[in-house]
Amino acid sequence: MAKPCGESRREHLLKIGVSGVRGVVGDFLTPAIATAFAQAFGTYVGGGPVVLGRDTRASGAMLVHAVTGGLLASGCEVVQVGVLPTPTIQVYVSATGARGGLAITASHNPPEYNALKLFNVRGLFFNGYERAELVDLYHQRAFRESVNAEMRGIVDASHLAPRIHLDRVLGLVDVPRIRTRRMRVALDAVNGAASVMSCTFLRDDLGCELHAIAVDPSRPFPRDPEPRADTLTDLARLVVETGADIGFGQDPDGDRLAIVDETGRVLDNDDVLAMVVDSALPRLHGDVVVNLTTSSAIDDIARAQGRRVHRTPVGEANVVEMMEAVGAAIGGEGSNGGVICRQVHLCRDSFAAMALVLDRVAATGLPVSQLAAKLPRYVRRQGKVPFEHGRLGRLVQQLVEALPEAEADTSDGLKLSLPGGWIHVRASNTEPVLRIAAEAPDRDVADELYEKALALASLEQP
Amino acid sequence: MTRALRISQVGVRGVVGPGLTATHVVEFVAAFVAFLREPGVVVVARDPRASGLMIREVTVAALLASGRDVVDLGIAPTPVLQHTITRLRAAGGISIGASHNAPEWNALKFFGGRGRYLSTAEANELLDFYHLGRSCYVGHEALGTLTSDAGAIDAYLDQLAAAFDFDALRRLTVVVDCCNGTSALVLGRLGQRHGFRPVLINERLEGVAFAHEPSTTARTVALQLAPVVVPLGAAAGFLFDADSDRVAIADNRGRALSEELVLPLVADYSLPREQGRTVITNLSTTALVDDVVRAHGGRVMRVPVGRQAAADALASLPPETVALAGEGTGAVMMPRFNFAYDGIASMLAVLSLIVEGGRTLADMVDAYPRYVMLKGEVPLAASRMPAVLARLRERFVTGRGGGVATIVDGLRVDWPDRWFHVRVSQTEPIVRVISEQRGEAPEALHASLLEEVRRG
Repeated sequence: MAKPCGESRREHLLKIGVSGVRGVVGDFLTPAIATAFAQAFGTYVGGGPVVLGRDTRASGAMLVHAVTGGLLASGCEVVQVGVLPTPTIQVYVSATGARGGLAITASHNPPEYNALKLFNVRGLFFNGYERAELVDLYHQRAFRESVNAEMRGIVDASHLAPRIHLDRVLGLVDVPRIRTRRMRVALDAVNGAASVMSCTFLRDDLGCELHAIAVDPSRPFPRDPEPRADTLTDLARLVVETGADIGFGQDPDGDRLAIVDETGRVLDNDDVLAMVVDSALPRLHGDVVVNLTTSSAIDDIARAQGRRVHRTPVGEANVVEMMEAVGAAIGGEGSNGGVICRQVHLCRDSFAAMALVLDRVAATGLPVSQLAAKLPRYVRRQGKVPFEHGRLGRLVQQLVEALPEAEADTSDGLKLSLPGGWIHVRASNTEPVLRIAAEAPDRDVADELYEKALALASLEQP
Repeated sequence: MTRALRISQVGVRGVVGPGLTATHVVEFVAAFVAFLREPGVVVVARDPRASGLMIREVTVAALLASGRDVVDLGIAPTPVLQHTITRLRAAGGISIGASHNAPEWNALKFFGGRGRYLSTAEANELLDFYHLGRSCYVGHEALGTLTSDAGAIDAYLDQLAAAFDFDALRRLTVVVDCCNGTSALVLGRLGQRHGFRPVLINERLEGVAFAHEPSTTARTVALQLAPVVVPLGAAAGFLFDADSDRVAIADNRGRALSEELVLPLVADYSLPREQGRTVITNLSTTALVDDVVRAHGGRVMRVPVGRQAAADALASLPPETVALAGEGTGAVMMPRFNFAYDGIASMLAVLSLIVEGGRTLADMVDAYPRYVMLKGEVPLAASRMPAVLARLRERFVTGRGGGVATIVDGLRVDWPDRWFHVRVSQTEPIVRVISEQRGEAPEALHASLLEEVRRG
């Protein structure tokens, strides 16, 4: 509290802004902030039922009380669904006519963090305008203050929500075909909110032979909660030891998915998205939406099935907004392992991704490694450099001047597209860094593009 | 000035919404934990007001975030909360409820270890902590956990069963107006567990629309309780406020007794069996207390109005010397059980007195010396109060008035057969004017007091 302001300057210990509230629980993300923000939310949605769920991190139970208090104070009825994946909460909001919803989860962030994810009446992330209005309400403290006679209660709906979500997911795929294969599946749910539901889903609904680790929601995260190659070594080993056909790694709130092939190799997230899109497009109508930094592999796959790819700035909300605008079938962000399937719900959903990949395996009879090998191949170079305010503009200018023949997109940092590859430079929303990515069909071009961007960015170092 | 919020030594109290908000609650509870030095759990209970759920959620969040384990009793009487604090050796507790106030009000009352009320010094420190924005939030690995305690009421009743003869009390027909409050839970359980079954009216817990104002006064007793006593053939009727720390009484003839009679009746029961001789009461309470206590060889200690002053007095005396502490509002504490104002224990004491004395309640009351008390109130003009008090003192003490003045809480003036007390309420923007006389109503005195106060 009484720490010098410099200490927390670049650490993002607390962030209240258009993406909601996120911070380290304790002196930074306090119950006072959570209660007030929830009351602002309840004021914004105008009372009525609001769905509230959480992931498994230790601070979730405390924050449920703080948020429930804020919602009740604004005259909302609080529909508690307990520990559930974020997509399940979103589906439940959309299915029940609630006025909105909140998920208490810091997604893939470390366990000391927590955050509030905010959903509108349709169970979608608030759009940018809505979020700005809500944050203004919070700062103005212009809360609806209900009197005793307007106070509503708390409803427990934890047993109702999972089935609604899972039934929608099962509607995407050929369930009997998957069940017939009796695939051997390994799972690492990071002891997160998807732990129980993923077991039910894979074992009971899809008839898989399940080998699961980290599926106890009462225990802490056993690994870094972001599912990546370097954090999923236990899952990779489990796949090999059990001779599994595939391994699934989830994040604490069940929206992201990583995949391990039958050899124990963790697939690139862009490959996961490409595989899922390839599996989904034949049975769904509509285009594909991905962010600017997603691999060009997706363009090849969409083109092969006669669909368009629409690009957006990085961020789930941006992808969802574009999917709505163009009526897209499927979308996602290659960089973070999120797949959004409109028929289930316009949200990142590890369950939809698992179902579509298993469907692909069942349909082709091919091992996951071979399915991945058949995907269009691009070479990706990416990295990050420390970010200083005011540097991005000059860097963008210099890059545009250095590659005058490229097509420039400045909707999120700078993306320069050339016939033989692309560069994307952007400021991270969550860390004080510039992210640099370059991609091309062959290594020399990718290296050249990346080194060029990195050199310019590094020149700018003070 | 309309007062919808009062943050003071007594705690936090207000009309939920326009006055008392979730933000006040979370900040005050955070300050309370920073103030609590003793380690240990914190016990929470609430009355049935609808806003209590909101306040409970925010209170629990602030406690857990401050690293305290929480035992939530749900809807439960304040005396049960205080008993549970002692039983669990908890660090303290928080009672959420506005006791005798209208439904739109709510409040937080804070208790230390052994369920005791905070002293004035402690309450001041807590208030300072609140204004300083103190908190002691902990990281995610040290957060508290929440549990409930379904056995709290039973454990409380067991303690009462050890002190009162329920076998004897079972023979009495008793009717109780629960005012839709927490007493219904204890009295329902009393029947199941100890076979003593008072007839209950307004026993449904109600969050919004109480059957009537839940205040313990002769006026509210007369509304629904007193009229049913005679038809039921009851030995007495009792009325509890929402959190059961106060009681008011109807006698066997269906008369709504003055709330001032509760303390003398409990004193008549307690003093013969207590080692302690001192009864602590406030300056506004009936002189009948002095007569009854003196008859038992005890002494009365008069303190300023408010729980705070009584708590300070209690803390200043060796515990074994205190027989009772109580107010003319129907709130009586028997330190032998708990340092808690306890309407239910008070009811059991009065019933035991009936059983043991072999007389009806009406006969007992009629045998007391007759005092008539007049109570009035005048809107507060805060800036004029010192002048008003000085004028009253001049008129009734220093001049030909010849009374004896006590000035620790407004002005009280005593004569051998009558007294008055003029003071500013701690909870409402009014001046309370109380006068009492042996034998008949002090009409002329009261009228001149009201006139002086209204003149400002």
